Amino acid sequence: MEILKVENASKIYKDNGIAVEALKNIDLSIQKGEFLVIAGPSGSGKTTLLNLLGSLDVPSSGKIFLEGEELSKKTKKELSQMRLAKLGFVFQAYNLIPVLTAIENIEFPLMLRGVQERTRRQKALEIMRELGIAELAKKKPNQMSGGQQQRVAVARAIVNEPIIVLADEPTANLDSVAADNLLDLMERMNREKNITFVFSSHDLQVIQRGRRLISLKDGSIIDDKICE
Amino acid sequence: MIFKIAWRNIWRNKRRSIIILTSIAIGLGFTMLYDCIVRGSVQQMLDNAINSHTSHLQINNAGFNSNKIITNNISHSDSIINKVASLPFIKYYSPRVLNFGMITSAANTSGITLVGIEPEKERNVTIIHKSLTKGTYFSTNPNEILIGEKLAEKLEVDLNDKLVLVSSATDGSVSSEMFRVVGIFKTNSSEFDKAYVYVPIKTAQKMLLLGDNISQIAAITDKPENINTYKSILQSKLDYHFEIFTYQELLPLLIYYVQIANDSMLVMYIIIGTAVLFGIINTLLMSVFERVHEFGVLMSIGMRNGKVFRMVIEEAFILSFVGTIIGFCLGLIGYYLLSIYGLDLSVFSESLSAFGMSTILYPKLDLGVIINSIFIIPITAILGAIYPALKAIKLQPTEAMRYV
Amino acid sequence: MLILKLAWRNLWRNKRRSILTILAVFFATLLSVTTRSLQYGTYEHNIKTAIEMFPAYIQIQKLGFQSNPSLQKSFVADSNILSTLKNIKEIKAWSSRIYSAGLVSYKENSLGAMIFAFDPDLERNTSTLAAKIKSGDFISNSAQKDIVVGYKMLENLKANIGDTIVLLSNGFDGAMNSIKLRIAGTIRMGSEEFDAMALFMNLSIANELLAMDNRINVIAISLSSVKDIPPVLTALKSQLKDSSLAVLSWDEVLVELKQSIEFDNSGNVIFLILLFIIVAFGILNTVLMSITERFREFGIILAIGTKQSVLLRTVFLENLFLTLFGILIGSLVGWIINLIFANNPIYMSGEIGQIYEQFGFVPALYFDPSIAILFETAIVIFIISLITFIYPAFKLLRLEALKGIRYT
Repeated sequence: MEILKVENASKIYKDNGIAVEALKNIDLSIQKGEFLVIAGPSGSGKTTLLNLLGSLDVPSSGKIFLEGEELSKKTKKELSQMRLAKLGFVFQAYNLIPVLTAIENIEFPLMLRGVQERTRRQKALEIMRELGIAELAKKKPNQMSGGQQQRVAVARAIVNEPIIVLADEPTANLDSVAADNLLDLMERMNREKNITFVFSSHDLQVIQRGRRLISLKDGSIIDDKICE
Repeated sequence: MIFKIAWRNIWRNKRRSIIILTSIAIGLGFTMLYDCIVRGSVQQMLDNAINSHTSHLQINNAGFNSNKIITNNISHSDSIINKVASLPFIKYYSPRVLNFGMITSAANTSGITLVGIEPEKERNVTIIHKSLTKGTYFSTNPNEILIGEKLAEKLEVDLNDKLVLVSSATDGSVSSEMFRVVGIFKTNSSEFDKAYVYVPIKTAQKMLLLGDNISQIAAITDKPENINTYKSILQSKLDYHFEIFTYQELLPLLIYYVQIANDSMLVMYIIIGTAVLFGIINTLLMSVFERVHEFGVLMSIGMRNGKVFRMVIEEAFILSFVGTIIGFCLGLIGYYLLSIYGLDLSVFSESLSAFGMSTILYPKLDLGVIINSIFIIPITAILGAIYPALKAIKLQPTEAMRYV
Repeated sequence: MLILKLAWRNLWRNKRRSILTILAVFFATLLSVTTRSLQYGTYEHNIKTAIEMFPAYIQIQKLGFQSNPSLQKSFVADSNILSTLKNIKEIKAWSSRIYSAGLVSYKENSLGAMIFAFDPDLERNTSTLAAKIKSGDFISNSAQKDIVVGYKMLENLKANIGDTIVLLSNGFDGAMNSIKLRIAGTIRMGSEEFDAMALFMNLSIANELLAMDNRINVIAISLSSVKDIPPVLTALKSQLKDSSLAVLSWDEVLVELKQSIEFDNSGNVIFLILLFIIVAFGILNTVLMSITERFREFGIILAIGTKQSVLLRTVFLENLFLTLFGILIGSLVGWIINLIFANNPIYMSGEIGQIYEQFGFVPALYFDPSIAILFETAIVIFIISLITFIYPAFKLLRLEALKGIRYT
């Protein structure tokens, strides 16, 4: 079933007075359970597209639908609530709140939804065990390696059971082993929990891992194929 | 070169610098204005006292000041007056007769100090003639009297009413004389207005059986700052039968007041300076830690510790100096506004008037204010900058990670 | 709560900065608490001393006497007044008095005098005048022609205790009368001017001298404390049926004292507020810096669905902790200092002491240890810090996820 639909979306922004077309007439449909990678060189519009999908930005023209609801019709508050309930984010870096421990970082979205303290802790621990990072529970981000931080970030992204996780170049700061491990994790979550993953990268090793590959060049989709 | 860098470094974080500059400017501006007001008020008190009665110098017969009895008067007054008048620094003088007495109206009685004056001479020495709210100054009539507003109220008299003055003469007898109110005055001191009355000197001399003798010569000098020199010159000209008092000796309280006002203002500057200091240290620290990496680079390309240290100190100095200039300008604006309009304190009129202050205060800007204002903040800033400056040269880039 | 933990830990991300800011608040609080305590303590003490020395807590006078004192503005202390006074329980004691002016002569010397006449026994219970005797004795009912004069007057007259002086004064009927009186003692009130003119005598003798026919100028009333003034004032005003009488509380009699206290007070308040404003700027800078440093982090937090209010609350709590910490420590230390000095007032000597005495103030620094002062300071600083939060709050409200993430 279709969960995300992009209808003829474009994004233009001004860079020092010059209009730049970051995205041009994008049409895209994403189904539940997909493990999708957006590939392309720097400046191709990957981050811009992800921001639109995540409701962090609005298209200059065109429409975006999440589970059938048009995003432009929602207020900022509604979008915020929606992101909390239905989306998960993993950024390239600085994902975690530095003063909270790993388990507290994972509890954070649960707290935002009003989950009680005891239940929060249990759920967070459960997720950490599932992801094999339980031993990191009491550590603060500056006590973890880059790879460990990103895995905690994934845990946080999925703790609220979102329908889709958006990851913008999640492995960019990791060495190849850590990158591999992260992707294994994401794949497993995709399979076991049927969470849709959409991630971007310009690294060949990472791109190979996606089951569907969308190639972006200069703001347009030049290829969209299923791999395996 | 270092100065230019320091200057530009301050503006790297505009908001932060503007905030600290604002706090310095406000702190300094207000404190400076306060300083001007305090000095102005204290100066006013002093001037009021000098202008209403004390004058710059008082010459009496020895012992008169501590016990003002009529028998202790100055004889051969003409020759004494001439001796005094001949001195070049004596601008104006006024011979006076002074005695305690009682003044009675139909309604009331009050204890007063009688001041017999030569109207034209006293005119130059005090401002009584200018302080008349009703009536006129003396004419040729011997039985005219000037009384203060507060006294007129108490005695329930107005212009042209008659009053009886009772006082003891040189032979011990009680003398009484009737006077007509020709003028009512109001000075800045309600105490003064209640207690002093003025009559023509000849009438006073006749009434108190003084002949040509007088009680005192009051004098105004050309340069009051040299008052002590003048006193010694005068004392050597007149012999030990006479005592000479300067306004500083006659108004010791007010002089102390001036001193205290200055001292407590200094304390205020220091306190405000300390408060601002916290802000400056914090600002500099933040700015230094942001640039640890940069300092590391600078030092690795050969900039010595001393220069880096100096750069930070200069940043503190510039911040504080700019803030001081702005604050000083604010203070100046406030000063000009207040010197035109005055600070209206009529809410406190009774209290002020009891201390001899007018209800409208004018500020006074003198060298002391300027020195205090301009130096206090930059000095504290430079002292405060030492700590961040030391940190700047000690910190290695890798250590900086911990502070992010 | 997680948010509380978050806010608290955020404070210590930059230990030095937070400590400096807290220190600044501490400094301002400490200064404010101690100087206010000194002020209130001194005012209170001075008021009490001034009141009990002679003016008393409340005075009953003829209407118009206060602004224009004269013998004519007098009244008889009739049974209505006396019974009213007896019935009000807070009234400890009272004393009837006559005020006038006269001329005092001794041999060839004459001076102006301010005459205060009362019944010595009643006066002893009402004011502390008898305690101000410098040498000799206070007046008494057994020797009614005894008087007490200011010590400076004795000096100026070149007289001694035991000598007889002549007092000359105008009576109620306008006629001038004189009487011979014996100096029994001298008094020192603290003001040189006053001590050169004050003359205290027996009420019954003054009554005769001034032909008052049992009329008096003032009934001075003594209470236990200034707190009793309002109820007693109300009671007196309603129970004294004579509309030609005025009931005045001390601040209507000693207007100059009250005003000089207010004047001093307002000067100090202005200064303290200036101090707080400067510290507030410091807090503002700290909070602003700490926010802008975290814009990226905030952006991500907003991206994952945090409401702006949660963000606002967190930063607000940080602001609060900074302020509260400084206030708490400053108040505690300040209170301890106040307590110590409240029990051990600092005495001023020399020139400063003289100046204080000249203005009728006691030459000592008294501290008020009450806790209300702590609250007064705390609330003001707190409010000012709230106001300084407005700008950071504004910045936070305008922040959007993407803006934060992209912030450099």
